[in-house]
This record gives sequence, structure tokens and C-alpha cells, in this order.
Amino acid sequence: MHPQKQLDTVGVNECPTCAAPMDGTNLMEGEVVTCKGCSAELEVVSLTPLRFEEAPEVEEDWGE
Amino acid sequence: MKKVDLVYTRLRTEERMIADALRGRGCAVELHADSGLVLSLDRERWRDGAPVLMRSMSFTRARYLASILEVKGSRVLNSAHAISTCGDKALTTLALAARDIPMPWAFLGFEEESCVAEIDRRGYPSVTKPVLGSWGRMVARMDGRSAAEGLMSMRFEMGGAQDHVALVQQYIDKPGYDLRVYVMGRAVGGIRRRSEHWITNTARGAIPERYEVPASHARLAERAAEAVGGDILAVDLLETRDGRVLVNEINHCVEFARSIEVSGIPLPELMADYVLGVLP
Repeated sequence: MHPQKQLDTVGVNECPTCAAPMDGTNLMEGEVVTCKGCSAELEVVSLTPLRFEEAPEVEEDWGE
Repeated sequence: MKKVDLVYTRLRTEERMIADALRGRGCAVELHADSGLVLSLDRERWRDGAPVLMRSMSFTRARYLASILEVKGSRVLNSAHAISTCGDKALTTLALAARDIPMPWAFLGFEEESCVAEIDRRGYPSVTKPVLGSWGRMVARMDGRSAAEGLMSMRFEMGGAQDHVALVQQYIDKPGYDLRVYVMGRAVGGIRRRSEHWITNTARGAIPERYEVPASHARLAERAAEAVGGDILAVDLLETRDGRVLVNEINHCVEFARSIEVSGIPLPELMADYVLGVLP
């Protein structure tokens, strides 16, 4: 887990993996999104302030 | 106000769309990450006893959570029984066999040499897959005895006792695609999954295409869904080159993010309608 800087501007933050800017518009807490910069799967852990963490690793019994 | 509890592992596109569809129908949706749930093992009602839409993508968590919540009196979709059956390919196959539903031949074995001997007897190519597995992982085709020996050796040398089960299935020479029919009480639509690879899973790169489900396929998928007792299911069909249609697998946590644009089937809305239909 990488420490995140908190930005003054609510709604924009950066990918914890590649630092690409991330738009928080219309996101829900817990939602998993893909970074357009590096394709990392990121989980929205907070909306105010907007914060992302790398999504949990896929486990062996996940998926259909 | 109507209310549904939605349990998830990851709030993916699918869960987001389903929650939005429910809310758009005036239904409150409370979201619960399965990682954060700690449930007492008793009959005490969970929260307000609202229906639970089980969207945990972890088979282990979904099965236990559904089982616990049912004891607590919740209506869970899909049911613990359906999840347990669909999540275990041996149990799925057995449920289909019990209803005489057409499917590839399959057998289960528990020891390397006896499994290789049976594969030899039945012929090549054949397919082996883990009984508990997903997204086409560790599904392998055996084109001859060497491959069978190697794969059976790995099956029984690696992992723990729960992994030492060999499910072997007839290899079906598909015409470059398989079929998926979505069933919610009735067949509501489907997709064709095309791939040059013999594994036609969209998680493995298969391309979804539109597919107008003929009545015979719809009825077959509905029979398969009845066999496992599920509410909201995706039934995977294999079409042979001579036109026969066989049931391959049934999925209890239907994924559609990769296919919904192509298929044009409003699955989130259909799921929301189905869930609201079971509300008291």
C-alpha cells in the first residue's frame, strides 16, 4: 500500500501505481476502476478526499 | 420502501449497474463488502431480513455467506444450494446427469494411474479441469497419453487433499464458439463467444457476439437451471459440429461487463426486475 497525498481539489487524485490523474466523478466507495495510464485495478477507498488503493489481488476461487 | 442487501467482493461494473438498476426502480440497496462481514452462526435475523443479492465473486465466501444467511431467514439469490452446485463442476455435472440433460461425458477419479487408464480407455483428446475453478484457469486438453500422464501427475502431486480430484470431460470439437444463455426463471437472452482458442471464455479473450437464442436452446438452458435450482444463472452450451447442443457449465455469479454492449441484453435491468419480483 502506498501513502497517498491528499489534494485540495476534491474529485481528482492520482493512480497510486503510475501517478496518472484519476477522475472521481460518479464513483462509489468500494468501486473498482482501471487506471487509464497503467491498467492497474484500483479500489476507491474514500470519496472525500478521493483516494485510491490497488484493488485486492484476485484469489484462486474468484470469478465465474 | 423496498430494500435489497447486495454482497460483493469487488464493486465491479456489474455490481454497480445492478445497484443502479435497482435504485432506478425505487429500491434501496445496501452494499456489503464480503471481506468485512463477520456473521454469527445462529438463527438471529441479519439486519432487517431483506432479500440478499449474493454477488460475491469468491466461491468460498459466497457459499458460506449464503448458507449462513439462509439459516438466518434471508432469501438469498442465488441460493446456497445453487451456489454450492454451480461452483463445483463435479456437482454441476451430477445435477445435470440426474435430470438426463445432454452434456459431454465426464468422470471423476482420485488416483493418478486409474485416471490415466480411464482416459486411455475413453480416448483422446479429452479435457481435465479443476472441480473448483474459474475463468478457464487450469483447464487443459489432453491430446495423448503423455499429456494425460503429465496432467494427472500434477493433479495428484500438487496442492492438498481437496485438490486431489480429477474431473475429466469429453473434448467437444466446437465450431469456433460456444453459447451462453442467461436464465432468470426463463431464458432471457444469450451471447455467442468466439475464439480461435478451444477455450472460449471472455476472461481468456473470447469475443462476444449477438446470439438469438432459439427455443430449443432456451428450453435446454432452462432445464439446466432448474437442475441446479438457481435464480439468476448463465448456462454455457457447447454446440457440436454435427449440430447437437450440450450443457457444459453453469455460473451462479453472472459476469457481463465484457459482453453487455455487444449483446444488447439489459441484464442489470432484468436482474433488478427478477430480484424485485421475489420481494414480499
